[in-house]
Amino acid sequence: MFWKLKKMFEKGKEKEIVDLIRDHITLIRDACEIFSNCIKENDKVSISEVCEIEKIGDSVRREIVLKLYEGAFLPGIRGNLYRLAETLDEVLDTIEDATIMFMMIPKLNEDIMSECVRIAEINLKMAEELLQTFEALRTEEDLKDRTIRIRILEEEVDAIKRDIFKKLMKTDVRNFWEGMAVYNFIKHLTNVSDLIEDAGDIIQILNVSLR
Amino acid sequence: MLILIPLISCVLIAFSIGSNDTSNAFGISIGAGIITFRKAVYLLGILVFIGAILQGRNVMRTVGRELVVLNMEILSISLFVSALVIIIANWKRLPVSSHQAIIGSLVGSAFAFGSVVRLDTLIKIVESWILSPVGALVLAIIVYRVMEIAFRRLPVFKVESILRTLLILNGIIIAYNTGANELATALGAIVCYGILSPLQAAVMGTIMLWLGAFLLSERVVETVGKGITSLDAFSGFSAQFAAGISVFIFTTLGMPVSTTYCIIGGIIGVGILKGVGTIKSDLLKKIMLSWVATPILTFGICCVIAKILISLSYV
Repeated sequence: MFWKLKKMFEKGKEKEIVDLIRDHITLIRDACEIFSNCIKENDKVSISEVCEIEKIGDSVRREIVLKLYEGAFLPGIRGNLYRLAETLDEVLDTIEDATIMFMMIPKLNEDIMSECVRIAEINLKMAEELLQTFEALRTEEDLKDRTIRIRILEEEVDAIKRDIFKKLMKTDVRNFWEGMAVYNFIKHLTNVSDLIEDAGDIIQILNVSLR
Repeated sequence: MLILIPLISCVLIAFSIGSNDTSNAFGISIGAGIITFRKAVYLLGILVFIGAILQGRNVMRTVGRELVVLNMEILSISLFVSALVIIIANWKRLPVSSHQAIIGSLVGSAFAFGSVVRLDTLIKIVESWILSPVGALVLAIIVYRVMEIAFRRLPVFKVESILRTLLILNGIIIAYNTGANELATALGAIVCYGILSPLQAAVMGTIMLWLGAFLLSERVVETVGKGITSLDAFSGFSAQFAAGISVFIFTTLGMPVSTTYCIIGGIIGVGILKGVGTIKSDLLKKIMLSWVATPILTFGICCVIAKILISLSYV
């Protein structure tokens, strides 16, 4: 009887979702790490691992959404968890887009490349911060400081982005498509930080949504 | 033969309570996906029976013994009219309290037959009808504030987990109250008149209530559950918990009070905290009108029926 009652109220689905979201953010961190290392080394072969990670991320998102629809968590926070899963998926999609563009573009000049590497490193740092922020959801009541750290890193990326575009304007482009590929590479690379910041904001909203 | 009228009426009232009031107990929990409808209905059945057995006698005594002096005619007319009014109200989706219908009918019939109506008990019951939602209102404000302070320092997943447990606890309290108060009000007259023993009445009432819940309450539960929880589980819990405690206190005092009105009182309390503008005044007016009209209407109908029967010398 006791076990039947215990089973009736057990919180299995909630724990599974929390674990899946943690896995999702870990995948982002891994993708950022591979991406950062590969563009540092100009390694256009190993970087394809990012695409594999994106595929795993898709299945993790699907699992999270399915479990939410099965009724995990109170409805008051389900919406935000769903938005978080979607945003995390977008982060992985954007890293994959940046990867594909990186494989297409010619070698950029050293100055611009070093700025891109800096952005990739900041993205990795932001992914680590995001993971810690999510972990803190279970242990801390105030996440303000953590999300502020993410925002500061994002502003740093914005400043570098402006700098890169200024430099790009002075660079000769051989043809339209090459220019387009470089532009898209920079755009996707810098969008990653925007999306990680959005995910951080959703975690912060999640944290206050039941209070 | 005449014995069948109050008996069938009680069966119908218990069935109606089951079909409508399951939402009071587990509506939010089912809507939030904490418990499935089927499990909630089984749990409701068990708790209603426990409530009726442990504390039902207090309310049964007030309704069946301390309010009016019963005879078979009073019993038959009042329970028949109550059942009719409750069923029509449910069918037309009008917010009618079964307590008020039963008390109004009993007093109306007894008055028409010139039987004793104990005014002191009637006044106490009416006072309870006023005090129980007001008590729930005040309690809801206190519960909401206390929870706000207590949850401020807790991580969100912990808050969510606690809220889920508390919502189930709420359901348990209200399901218990349904047996100890709602069902006891419906069965009080036939038990005190000696048609059924308290145990027989509790068994029959629980089975009918459970059947009503199992067969007809799913849609009502879904509406209430989704309606309230989509607003905010925190407020829903405060209102429901305050109502549960308020009804429990009045049950202990032997007073037949409505859980639905107490939940409305609790919701108004939370609404006051969030700003008076959030309270839907039109809906409130409709509920207030029903609160006043139901006992008067059932009193009037029973009086008229009883007088007609007396004048036709059927009784």
